[in-house]
Amino acid sequence: MNANGAMPSQEKPVLLTGNHAVAWAARLARPKVVPLYPITPQTPILEKLTEFQAEGEFDAEVITPESEHSVMAACIPASLAGARVFTATASQGLLLMHELLHYASGARAPIVMANVNRTLASPWAFWPDETDSLSQRDTGWIQYYVESAQESLDTVIQAFRVAERELLPVMVNLDAFYVSHALEPVRVPTPELVDAFLPPYTPPHRLDTAKVESWGNVVTPDMYYRHRRALGEAMDEVYSAALEADDEWGELTGRRYGLVERYRCEGARSVIVTMGSMCGTARDAVDAMRDAGLMIGLLKVRLFRPLPVQALRAALAGVADVLVLDRNYSPGHGGVLHQELRAALYGMADAPRIHGYLAGVGGVNVSPGKIAEFARMLSANEPQPDSVWVR
Amino acid sequence: MLQIVIQGRGGQGAQTAGNLLATAFFAEGREVQSFASYGGARRGTPVSSFIRVDDRPIRLRCDIEQADAILCFDASLLEGRLLEIARPDTLIVVNSSRTPEQYAEQMPGYRVIPVDGISISRRHGLGRIVNSALLGAFARAIEAPKLGVLTRALGERAPKLRDENIAACEEGYRWMEVQLQRVAA
Repeated sequence: MNANGAMPSQEKPVLLTGNHAVAWAARLARPKVVPLYPITPQTPILEKLTEFQAEGEFDAEVITPESEHSVMAACIPASLAGARVFTATASQGLLLMHELLHYASGARAPIVMANVNRTLASPWAFWPDETDSLSQRDTGWIQYYVESAQESLDTVIQAFRVAERELLPVMVNLDAFYVSHALEPVRVPTPELVDAFLPPYTPPHRLDTAKVESWGNVVTPDMYYRHRRALGEAMDEVYSAALEADDEWGELTGRRYGLVERYRCEGARSVIVTMGSMCGTARDAVDAMRDAGLMIGLLKVRLFRPLPVQALRAALAGVADVLVLDRNYSPGHGGVLHQELRAALYGMADAPRIHGYLAGVGGVNVSPGKIAEFARMLSANEPQPDSVWVR
Repeated sequence: MLQIVIQGRGGQGAQTAGNLLATAFFAEGREVQSFASYGGARRGTPVSSFIRVDDRPIRLRCDIEQADAILCFDASLLEGRLLEIARPDTLIVVNSSRTPEQYAEQMPGYRVIPVDGISISRRHGLGRIVNSALLGAFARAIEAPKLGVLTRALGERAPKLRDENIAACEEGYRWMEVQLQRVAA
């Protein structure tokens, strides 16, 4: 592990946790303002960034307000003043920000935030569960879900490019413990490489006392309507912005991820669809099932907002059965990815049968063996309109 | 893939031990993953540290349900939930002053090798901080990583009592060597 602030080279991997990989990404992105409030399991991000700052390696204004609501209240004006802004939170902290999440996207503040996915109270717990960020899906934030420490680092850096091109905030979500606390080899790019990829943020408009502009005025229904449509048009541009950022990052580092990723989907009759850390486990499950002669693949959803509907439809065309694994729960309507996928594929000619499984809710362990077991249930069962609880 | 579980109580250093072990394996050129799961990291509550070691990148993101080897910091945790992840051939190293014979009698069907971590740690002025001694013993028991690589990883982490921790690690290693000979005899 790189305990001190010495800069690891791009070429040689070092051991970092997902949280520390996020902190390295934030350091390399050179944000000017970083408001933070600690919460398990995000706290190591805050600790590492303040350590970088104390060592003189991180030239940002680190603000520690009294709550996550105040953190977001600090992020928004800093971003509108033209500063690059980063923050990180988890679970209850994200929910406390809720009101201002809407405000941030409405104000077109390109804040980048890492969220460590953790269960919501009550009851109190610390396990991986994505209900926290998925319940913020309508707040106008771009949402990525990542699988590893390396992807956490790469995605936070890509996120700034996308955010600042479209003037939309981005949330990068990593699962508690399986990603946030997993120590694993990570390649940290050089500052020069990141500087070339991510030039300083120079917004077309900003709060400036010398050049008077204003944000958030009282508007007429017509103005509000036009504003919302503009927000939607920016969201529509995110697909190309995200692909462009990913491609360029791929050219610089050799690592690219796509908006969705098809893993061993060639000729697949069945495809597992999931997000976040469970994708890694599903890869091993798919390999084992392929070895046993099953025509099965994995479709990883990396970009969840905006939902890449066309990419999903293209990736799942010709597939007989889709198995959605949701590590989240929307009471009254099951798994969020299940709902989203059914809506995305609705009306498609020869649409696949979609089976929704609530697997891993509340951090329940999902092993490759379990995933294989769920896959075996497919052919025997007609898909249900509601998600099915499995473990 | 080698899958290891270190079980301890919050504050005993099971998570640190897991990260150290992973760091040493990584230094030997292996792919590693190490993470801990805990109920909010309260002192005294059970903490599990999971370590995977392989020759190719590790993609699994789940708990270890079948461990190849277990290091247990506290003999009172050597029961139900922990034993569920042990196969008959799983090597279990436990921090205890009891003898291998006593464990063979008490827990038939399990391969339990005790190591008196507390005595070793006390001899090196570390009090009840047993993780360095236990790591040394465990590395000898599973025959990896190399002692020199492990003590270097320990030293680089620069604990306050650096030399004492390295000495305890080395003694744990030697202690296990003797214990294994006794078990084999």
